[in-house]
Amino acid sequence: MSDNHNTVGRTGLGIRAPQDFAAGLFLVVVALFAIWQASDLPLGSLRAMGPGMLPRAVAVMVGLGGVGLMIFSFFEDGAALERFHWRGPFFILGGIILFALTIRTAGLIVAGPLAMFFGSIGSDEFRWKESIVFSVGLTAVCIVLFKFALGLPIPIIAFM
Amino acid sequence: MDSMFANLALGFSVALTLKNIALCFAGCFVGTLIGVLPGVGPIATIAMLLPITFGLDPTGALIMLAGIYYGAQYGGSTTAILVNLPGEATSVVTTLDGHQMAKQGRAGVALGIAAIGSFFAGCVATLLIAALGLPLTRLAQLFGPAEYFSLMVMGLVFAVVLARGSILKAICMILLGLMLAQVGTDLETGQERMTLGLISLSDGIDFAVLAMGIFGFAEIIRNLENPETRDVVRNTIGRLLPGKEDFRQAYKPILRGTFIGSILGILPGNGAVLGPFAAYTVEKRLAKDPSRFGRGAIEGVAGPESANNAGAQTAFIPLLTLGIPPNAVMALMVGAMTIHGIIPGPQVMTRNPELFWGMVASMWVGNLMLVIINLPLVGIWVKLLKVPYRMMFPAILIFCCIGIYSINNSTSDVLFTAFFGLLGYVVLKLGFEPAPMLLGFVLGKLMEEKLRQSLILSRGSFMTFLDRPVSAVLLVIAIAMLVLALLPSIRKSRDEVFTE
Repeated sequence: MSDNHNTVGRTGLGIRAPQDFAAGLFLVVVALFAIWQASDLPLGSLRAMGPGMLPRAVAVMVGLGGVGLMIFSFFEDGAALERFHWRGPFFILGGIILFALTIRTAGLIVAGPLAMFFGSIGSDEFRWKESIVFSVGLTAVCIVLFKFALGLPIPIIAFM
Repeated sequence: MDSMFANLALGFSVALTLKNIALCFAGCFVGTLIGVLPGVGPIATIAMLLPITFGLDPTGALIMLAGIYYGAQYGGSTTAILVNLPGEATSVVTTLDGHQMAKQGRAGVALGIAAIGSFFAGCVATLLIAALGLPLTRLAQLFGPAEYFSLMVMGLVFAVVLARGSILKAICMILLGLMLAQVGTDLETGQERMTLGLISLSDGIDFAVLAMGIFGFAEIIRNLENPETRDVVRNTIGRLLPGKEDFRQAYKPILRGTFIGSILGILPGNGAVLGPFAAYTVEKRLAKDPSRFGRGAIEGVAGPESANNAGAQTAFIPLLTLGIPPNAVMALMVGAMTIHGIIPGPQVMTRNPELFWGMVASMWVGNLMLVIINLPLVGIWVKLLKVPYRMMFPAILIFCCIGIYSINNSTSDVLFTAFFGLLGYVVLKLGFEPAPMLLGFVLGKLMEEKLRQSLILSRGSFMTFLDRPVSAVLLVIAIAMLVLALLPSIRKSRDEVFTE
């Protein structure tokens, strides 16, 4: 996990483990969100727990863990925060979302190449022609394999 | 003893029908095929291939899934030896000496000894499952909710201790997993919890969706960020069958590895991960000339690979006897079993003996199949490994999408997978290890159920967990493990084990 090439140096706030500090902050935010979401669920008693008891208890523990990480990050040296890249996540996740949006409305014949082509752009080594040929070819393989060989109920052509 | 062999005979009569042999073969083959792809571990492989078993009868489906599982495991080792890329944590150690052997032109021998060691380990583990199945099932019937809860707490503590990096961070991941497990309809009151008003969340988060997001998609994103250093062996593979001298060096490590792996695999909380590390350390300590390790010592492949496979298989024991999945792969098995209407646990053996023993016997058949399939097909795997990642990841992407979509024919599942891919990426970037989160998620629902049941029985008193002796012992073990792991001296050696 120790990527030294893209590090953000020590902050001026005396934080000695920026990654842990950010991790703690992330957990606190998640915990607060969960506590808010679970706030209208009845707690019940220990003898007969309501639906809200454990979600709130666990969320509080997550939050305490996060606070702990933040506190320790002032006292112990740790890893720097890694840089977040946007290209990979954007195109990969975008490709998946495109697949989800088109599989029912257009079918695999559109969703397959679309998702693969869009996802391919996420790589630094992206090549136009290769990607188009490859994603169309592989979709054909998928159709034969999943639809005809395995009989999964995937819509192939849905727009006609 | 007699009944054990009678049961095994029943199992083999199920596993050795032509249809089930074919399914086992198909499972091993596609499992290896996908598992060989770098960056695709057993979890993603199984989640991806789960839908292809839907059309089968339960026994056939489980036999095929078990085949996929072993195939994926062995595929990971193949990648470790040939490319120096471990598919998952358990094959990390194999890269050390396996890849060195490959560089010296002995890739074939490394693969051969890995297959033979795995096969031997598989045979022993199959017998162990058959032997322990019955007594452990009886034990499980004595377990009340308090004991179950404490056992799962112990499992989670093991997972924390075994995770790499900071213990606090591992605990946080477990808790986050537990939190995600509570999304959905409350078991007792039927009230919706933390569903954000989304209908598709009212049944909770599907395990395959979470696993695929975190181990499939987040992994692709991370691989794209770290420019590839794939080092496919250029030398010839060499002969596959190890020679006499190789066997002489390897048979003891195989025996020891099998023993270590089998024991650790039974532990709840993913003990199987520790097997290869422990086996490697033992071999290095026992070696006359430890400096050979890291430079292509055959013992460094034989021991860990046997331990790996033994652990992969004995991990079925807690699942089949207690109904508690010890790791994420077994959790996927739970998902698969539930889809076919089987709830894992002690009742499987009594209610579906054909299924239970058929699956146990097919494990042995699967291990044999791996030796038969892999040795002649090594050439194909090498070619597959030379495909550049920019072409490989779109293929993985589309297989994952089709796989997830097909599980429930649901587009919202696909969208959630994208969301968990993002979550997995963020979590990795923040230096967390995602495996404990998955385990927390897996055990979350069952733990909540058992906790609430025990507190109802004890009228709200937590003392019930300490008053009942078995439960108290389990909790004491858990606390002792945690304290030990936190001691500075142990912490240091723990870091060494994982960096080695």
